[in-house]
Amino acid sequence: MAKVMHEEIINLKKEFIEMANLALSMLDDAINALINKDIELAKTVDKRKRSIRDYDVDMEEKVLKLIALYQPMAIDLRRLATILKNITYLYRLGRYGKDIAATVKNFVDLPPLSESLGIIHMWEHVKPMIEDAIEAFDVEDISKLKNFEERDNEVDQLRWSIFRESVSYMMEYPKYITACAYILMIARYLERCGDHACKMAEKIHYMVTGDHIEIS
Amino acid sequence: MNVKVSLKKKNMMNEKFGQKFEPIAPYENDIIIKSKKLNLWYDDNHALIDIDIKVKRNKITAIIGPSGCGKSTLIRSFNRMNDIIDCCKIEGEVNYHGKNIYSDDINIIQIRKSIGMIFQKPNPFPMSIFDNIAYGPRLHKEYRNVDLDELVEKNLKRAVIWEEVKDRLEDSAISLSGGQQQRICIARALAIEPDVILMDEPTSSLDPIATRKIEELIFELKKKYTVVIVTHNMQQAARISDYTGFMYLGEMIEFGETEQIFEKPRKELTERYITGRFG
Ligand SMILES: Nc1ncnc2c1ncn2[C@@H]1O[C@H](COP(=O)(O)OP(=O)(O)OP(=O)(O)O)[C@@H](O)[C@H]1O
Ligand SMILES: [Mg+2]
Repeated sequence: MAKVMHEEIINLKKEFIEMANLALSMLDDAINALINKDIELAKTVDKRKRSIRDYDVDMEEKVLKLIALYQPMAIDLRRLATILKNITYLYRLGRYGKDIAATVKNFVDLPPLSESLGIIHMWEHVKPMIEDAIEAFDVEDISKLKNFEERDNEVDQLRWSIFRESVSYMMEYPKYITACAYILMIARYLERCGDHACKMAEKIHYMVTGDHIEIS
Repeated sequence: MNVKVSLKKKNMMNEKFGQKFEPIAPYENDIIIKSKKLNLWYDDNHALIDIDIKVKRNKITAIIGPSGCGKSTLIRSFNRMNDIIDCCKIEGEVNYHGKNIYSDDINIIQIRKSIGMIFQKPNPFPMSIFDNIAYGPRLHKEYRNVDLDELVEKNLKRAVIWEEVKDRLEDSAISLSGGQQQRICIARALAIEPDVILMDEPTSSLDPIATRKIEELIFELKKKYTVVIVTHNMQQAARISDYTGFMYLGEMIEFGETEQIFEKPRKELTERYITGRFG
């Protein structure tokens, strides 16, 4: 019976990685849509919100069922606990992608604000954090999580520099106030995405080592 | 149980990653049974190898491990039940309250009275329920002036079987169900006021409801007694015990707090056993 459970856990891990890639693609496409003012691409992000939700519900059910049926211990229990926690973070990442995509229409007739205000730059910091967390989960090796604290701090700093720039921009060009407010919102979302990557990393660290840590 | 490391304050992330676990703090003062380099042979079968174990007072200690690893042998050595086996040879010490029970001047009757044993298969005596409980006290002269009715009632209540049998105390104990018989055996063990209760797979022949009752009872017992339980049911060990020892081929591979053993065992062998990746 244990063998069946071990196979189920391997399948769940695969599914988790699929879900992670979906969440990542939603964010990545949302940012690209924003930069390129690509309304069509933004719409495809919105369409994916159902399927990230389905992953969340479906995987939660599967994890709970496995726990109830097999009462796993040690590494198996830690794997399932990590999946159960982290699907929530993945779901939120996907939702932020959807939220960012929803703002794209507001930028269509404007100069390249998002680019000049460093949103891409911020995403270039956040994205690899998410990717590293997924990889650490996949191969069960925590070495890629080592500097998450500093990376998260950098993301925070980028957000504040976007904040400062946006504020001066808004004072200079009042007609872009609405768009700049969206930029601030997006920067806030990306900062949250960085936090979620850290939270996932904490759980993955626990999964691999059994020790709880706190990253920032 | 978990080492919580705040990385914010110290920025010591690199050092903290992959750190080893601290050993559990010593609890010498509350130790009721402590074995030292305990070795046991059945002829040339080396069944216990250098076992050092500390059993803590008012706690439940579980012993797990695959069949034939020596669990029963170990707990039998705690009250010298192996003495009756001819081919059995023992070296090392089992200290009970600081005194080696294998030294020459030990009173075996007293040891067996203080350290009771419950077996896998309920083994009530073929006599009435009442007499089962009164049997031990009748043998010991210090109970001569004790009111046996009271004593029987008290111990049947402790074993949470009183309500089920109070109107049929004269019935044969053999007529009870397995779960009831097991609780009669526990009541019988309690009747002579033991200090430690050893249990060898006490629920493995019982249905889930009877098992639950016995588990609840064991949990109650630790307020007053010290329990060592051998079990094949890992969930049971995880549910009821405070400490768990994992044995393999006569050795104590890992011993620690139950939560630690089942959440993050230190030894790979333990990990493999409790996650079912064995053999
Ligand atoms: N009375 C005995 N005479 C000879 N050998 C014995 C005796 N009792 C146990 N052994 C041997 O000692 C070893 C340990 O047996 P023990 O009964 O302690 O294992 P166990 O862990 O309790 O196994 P199980 O889970 O099957 O009850 C085994 O190799 C067994 O064959
Ligand atoms: Mg046995």
